[in-house]
Amino acid sequence: MRILRIGPLGITTHRRTFAVGLAMAAALAALLVFALAQGQANITVLDSLKAAVGIPVGAPADFIVGQVRAPRALTAVVIGAMLGLSGAILQSLTRNPLASPDFIGISAGAGTGAVLTLWLVGASSLWVTAAGAVVGALVTAGLILALSWRRGIVPLRLILAGIGMGFVAQAATQYVLTRMEMHEAGNALGWLVGSVTGRTWTHVTVAALALGVLAPVVLWHARALRTMEMGDDAARALGIHVGRSRTVLALCSVLLAAAAVAVTGPIGFIALVAPAIALRLTRNAGVTLIPSALMGALLLLAADQVAQLMPTTVQLPVGIFTAAVGAPYLLWLVWRASRGGPA
Amino acid sequence: MTRLQTQGAVIGYGGTPIVHGVDVEVPDGRITAVVGPNGCGKSTLLRALVRLLPVSEGAVLLDGEDIHKVPTREVARRVGLLPQSPIAPAGITVKELVARGRTPHQKVLRPWSAADEMAVTSALHSTQLTSIQDAVVDELSGGQRQRAWIAMTLAQDTPLMILDEPTTYLDIAHQYDVMDLLHHLNTRQERTIVMVVHDLHQAARYAHHVIAMRDGVVAAAGSPSEVFTEELIREVFALEARVLTDPVTGTPMVVPAHGPGGAR
Repeated sequence: MRILRIGPLGITTHRRTFAVGLAMAAALAALLVFALAQGQANITVLDSLKAAVGIPVGAPADFIVGQVRAPRALTAVVIGAMLGLSGAILQSLTRNPLASPDFIGISAGAGTGAVLTLWLVGASSLWVTAAGAVVGALVTAGLILALSWRRGIVPLRLILAGIGMGFVAQAATQYVLTRMEMHEAGNALGWLVGSVTGRTWTHVTVAALALGVLAPVVLWHARALRTMEMGDDAARALGIHVGRSRTVLALCSVLLAAAAVAVTGPIGFIALVAPAIALRLTRNAGVTLIPSALMGALLLLAADQVAQLMPTTVQLPVGIFTAAVGAPYLLWLVWRASRGGPA
Repeated sequence: MTRLQTQGAVIGYGGTPIVHGVDVEVPDGRITAVVGPNGCGKSTLLRALVRLLPVSEGAVLLDGEDIHKVPTREVARRVGLLPQSPIAPAGITVKELVARGRTPHQKVLRPWSAADEMAVTSALHSTQLTSIQDAVVDELSGGQRQRAWIAMTLAQDTPLMILDEPTTYLDIAHQYDVMDLLHHLNTRQERTIVMVVHDLHQAARYAHHVIAMRDGVVAAAGSPSEVFTEELIREVFALEARVLTDPVTGTPMVVPAHGPGGAR
């Protein structure tokens, strides 16, 4: 174990984790430049970078990059990071790689809340939809907890209850869809697929605000999260406020997932896969939050680029591509669990 | 007055008391063994001593102060615990695990300090794990793994160490390894040790002070020779036994009075 100390703030990390984190950040920056410059309109890399930060370079770059590509790419980056973080927290708290907000029904609950809001209030503003998604996610999380609680959290019960609640939430969403006007339902359905297409700076703002508020809270509790992986007794004996930390962290995970759903609709598998890849790359023992977030951002941005490069006439939603990566991983997890390995 | 003691402590889970008003003193600088049949409340008592369980009546006193009024982190700097079945995060190395013992000494934005490094090095050394400090904990033998957990508790650097059945899943040679290690820590580093053990022979050999529990109360407390009498073994364990003298250490040795072919 080689420990690296960074600066007067004294963030300690393993050298390998730090190196992998840097590499991910570099890859993310490169991919972001690519996402801004690549497209049907021919715009130079320099012009697209300028346009992205609001320096006028003239039509069409100002609009295409400044209002279309940049918010879309940044939405993917921020939402990806939120999903990666949300999944990492949940997987660490439950000590189970299957626990991610999309897999245990949190995202589905957020979707129900958002669709219900669209139906009752109309597509008035993103903030209202976001509030609906947050309420939906919190209610779902509360129900999952109530269903699985047996003098404490039992991870497997929680996951099974979550999968069940996910189906209930989906059924509720579909019921609401049948009650909606045709064009409203069409819009809601389009949103429910999960996509970063057509996202605006408002979307980026909502997402960045959620991440900006929640990420510091999560990082503040990183040590508690890592220590709780050794069991509640060991963590308490090491001076961790187990109950308080767990509540705060679980709440942050749910809120991150809910805000992500509000902005892009439910995008599957990023929250499930990103922490696992981050863990394998860093070879960390236990949860690794920042690499998980970086990996989530990288995966979602990459998936959206692949979606854009597909030679189809309609824009494919990114959720289809995250599923293409995530589903095999999920099958592998299940296969490994069925062979008696760690679930 | 000793550093850690209970006064009329009633302890239980969710309103059902398991330990009914016990007064226990943990002698400073000594090894205390808590013994008793299954379900007698010894683990419950142990958990209350580290504040893992609330006390509904009476109190647990740490340095004369109600332990529930001492800040969590402060408790963790004075009393260390090796729980019965801790979970090693997948892929963690011995040194990383031991380093986690430093948690109560660290703050969110404070780097790994020289004191942390020293405590970890010394814990690895005392448990003879220095040569395998980079090995992955999951791949160790049971005895080595238990030593690694004890090392983690050591790195916590607390004057009081509490161990819940430290030898239960180990083979006999490793059980004595662990006991020798605890004895060493007690004599060389003057750590106060409290442990739950099932093996009365080990308790008699290694402990200075024995607390025998039955049905949630303390049936007897004192030196091994005071506690391990034929009468008390009958009362606490419902076992007819003879108490002999250990030919190696001169400590009491409890031998069941019946067995295949033995006299009843």
